[in-house]
Amino acid sequence: MSHILFVAVLALKSPAAPAAVTLVKGGDLHVGDGTVVEDATIIIRDGKFAAVGGPELTAPSNSGVTLVDARGKIITPGLVASDNQLGLVEIDLEGSTHDDARGGDHPVRAAYDASRAFNAESSLIQVQAIGGVTTAAVAPAGGLLSGQVAWVDLVHGDHRGALSKAGVAIDGNLGHSYGGSRAAALAKLHEVLTDAQVFRGRKDAYERAQTRPFAAHALDLQALQPALAGQIPLTLSADRASDILAALDLAKEYKLRLVIVGGSEAWKVAPELAAAKVPVVLQPTRNLPGSFDTLGARLDTAALLAAAGVPVVIAWLDDSHNLRNITQEAGIAVANGLPWAAALRAITLEPALAYGQGTTHGSVAVGKVANLVVWSGDPLELSSRPTDVLVRGRAIPMVSRQTLLRDRYRSLDKFGAAAPSTNSNARPRPDTGAAATTATTAAPPQK
Amino acid sequence: MTAAGDIFERADLLVVGGRISAVGPGLQAPDGAVVVDAAGKTITPGVIDTHSHLGVYAAPGLNGHSDGNEASAPTTAHVRAEDGYWPQDPQIDRARAGGVTTAQILPGSANLIGGRSVTVRFLPDARSVDDVKFPGAPYGLKMACGENPKRVYGDKSGPKTRMGNLAGFRDAFQKAKEYERTWSKYRKDHGEWDKNKDKPAPAGKDGQPGKPPDEPQPPTRDFGLETLGLVMKGEILVHNHCYRADEMTQMLDLAATYGFKIRSFHHAVEAYKIADRLAAAGTAASVWADWWGFKAEAFDGILENAALLHAAGGRSIIHSDSPSGIQRLNQEAAKAMHAGRRMGVDISEDDALRWFTANAAWALGIDHEVGTLTPGKRADLVVWSGSPFSVYTRAEQVYIDGEPVYLRGELEPGTDFELGYNPGAAPPAPVSPVPSNMSAAN
Repeated sequence: MSHILFVAVLALKSPAAPAAVTLVKGGDLHVGDGTVVEDATIIIRDGKFAAVGGPELTAPSNSGVTLVDARGKIITPGLVASDNQLGLVEIDLEGSTHDDARGGDHPVRAAYDASRAFNAESSLIQVQAIGGVTTAAVAPAGGLLSGQVAWVDLVHGDHRGALSKAGVAIDGNLGHSYGGSRAAALAKLHEVLTDAQVFRGRKDAYERAQTRPFAAHALDLQALQPALAGQIPLTLSADRASDILAALDLAKEYKLRLVIVGGSEAWKVAPELAAAKVPVVLQPTRNLPGSFDTLGARLDTAALLAAAGVPVVIAWLDDSHNLRNITQEAGIAVANGLPWAAALRAITLEPALAYGQGTTHGSVAVGKVANLVVWSGDPLELSSRPTDVLVRGRAIPMVSRQTLLRDRYRSLDKFGAAAPSTNSNARPRPDTGAAATTATTAAPPQK
Repeated sequence: MTAAGDIFERADLLVVGGRISAVGPGLQAPDGAVVVDAAGKTITPGVIDTHSHLGVYAAPGLNGHSDGNEASAPTTAHVRAEDGYWPQDPQIDRARAGGVTTAQILPGSANLIGGRSVTVRFLPDARSVDDVKFPGAPYGLKMACGENPKRVYGDKSGPKTRMGNLAGFRDAFQKAKEYERTWSKYRKDHGEWDKNKDKPAPAGKDGQPGKPPDEPQPPTRDFGLETLGLVMKGEILVHNHCYRADEMTQMLDLAATYGFKIRSFHHAVEAYKIADRLAAAGTAASVWADWWGFKAEAFDGILENAALLHAAGGRSIIHSDSPSGIQRLNQEAAKAMHAGRRMGVDISEDDALRWFTANAAWALGIDHEVGTLTPGKRADLVVWSGSPFSVYTRAEQVYIDGEPVYLRGELEPGTDFELGYNPGAAPPAPVSPVPSNMSAAN
């Protein structure tokens, strides 16, 4: 058994070298942008989609082609998990496994780069990947401005290669996040953004120490420049309607590309969000009035926002161990009014667009990174599972630490059936004032 | 779907006087009966959650609402969840809308022995816990292994280690044994005294009549030790928060030593490693479908946990421990069922339905009253829009004792707390059909 396990671990860690060409044939392709191609043919070359079409597309037929048979199945783009700490946190309650936040008291940490901390060997990666998640927007946590979001493809074990792009967004938190008051948090944001603007034009003076003191370190002010130039979005966590409006005002004033994360009460300000074309990253099951910021939380927020024309991204915003459940979240959004196609789009193309990565990710289109999932059935349904997952054109092994544990304990025959308590002399018994009792844990020998 | 073995494609269910009178095809409604048309829908028993903190950790999560952990000492067997239960918790309304009719409200897991649980029904319009206590349900006792007690008390009184945890359990039950002995002695002495009190006292050495013996006085009553004594008599059911296989085995051993049963382990993310031992001990495991990794003792969680225990002949239960998860225990069971089937475990829909109905009722000691659609039981029912194992299905109607407590769009009870918030709230979004080419097969 240990020998078999050894092989399995090897397979997990070093996937076979990719064939130059992979062909996915048959099945209904849901492209990610709402269109569907029946009996699809998808040709992948060097990790990118080289051709996408129907049965009329001529498939290469030389011996170097890896074939993925998708007949009778559903094909979707690889799913994108937004706003999480994948690869930054292994065990939530163990601080020694955390690399998700820059420590210290300073609330402005824009230079903190999540990609520098990402662990490509995290056990969480394959758990999500075999559930269909192929890309993650890995965001730092904490503070007012937490740092830079890393765009990562889920290539398990590839420390140099997993990162797709660093610094695709600056992540931060509104509301009661700083200074004991939301007003203090907003004032600080204004101060920092203004300083970043001043800093942009006065770097030489700064180097000569001829500027007034700034509200943040020069590296943090520098890191904000792409956001101020509108090149990358500012992803701000905000739930209360008034906080979302404040974020919209801030974005307007500084010409920022804004993305709202959380958005429990976003439905209350849907027309303004739609007019500003601001996407909302939300978790549909968050319908509880868990704080005074979320008293308006409801199950149909995604549907209400989509109907108002707001770009909707569906995410798993709890701990990063179950990002795979974005399919269930999307299904629940459908059960509560979001059209099915919009729900699939909300876990594929919309997140890619929200993080500015739509040219490389989010749909099955020629030239994009070949992240793709073949499903046994409706990808949002609880009965379905991925049968094949391709990350950057490679079929990943459908193995995780969890499947290895499952297989180790699939049969308990190899373990001693008896619990230690069958040996009543093994350790002294407490005085129970009663005749010796028989332990119940002594299982009869198993066949 | 009865959770008692039978799944009828098309059937009727007759409720008389709040109890199920008959289940099966072609029933005749008596004159004057209220007829509910459930054609095309699915009817199941009301959902039962063995692990909830609704009412004791109410929303919003304010300091003023934190009533679930009496974290003032590691052993607080004398406290009772019912004394902290706030029936106006708005989370209860969401759970009811998810088909939950009954839940065990537990003290938290800060303490080795956290106190007595209470089993409640999610009836609307409750003004105090007495309005919703499940009639005749036994109490449970919350116990917690592992990380939580040592984290909470490590820098205070201890326990600081798992060694300290086990020592704390032994101490508590040993004291309860000794307490029981003092009461046994008192009862015996008092019986003797009662028998002899009217007899003339024997003469003393000096030939004078002796003084009549004093009436024995009862020992000081200790509600915590009394609770543990009732555990050892089997009258209070033990619900033990415990993640790891090794610790669960140790707890089974400790329970055997003191002569009690652990009714259900809770969370039990490693139940699959000792499925044989749990089955042999007759101890259930209340588990999540897929939670894992948020703490060290949860690191070995797998999707097939419930399925593997089921396959070993054990009693699997899907629980929530979450105000969100409690709204969809049917979906969590679906995930666990499908994960098991994929690895080849034979699990029927009736089996998986029992994971959040009949088996949960057994763990709470109320299986003679609820948990299956069996004539004679209380008519706690859910009418679902489709299969309870589909992500697209919602509970449409929920009944307790045959009375509607939730009717989607018609009867949606709300708490006092939420009155006045969300003025002008948008109506619920209309639902669009799922594309017909989406097969939910396999």
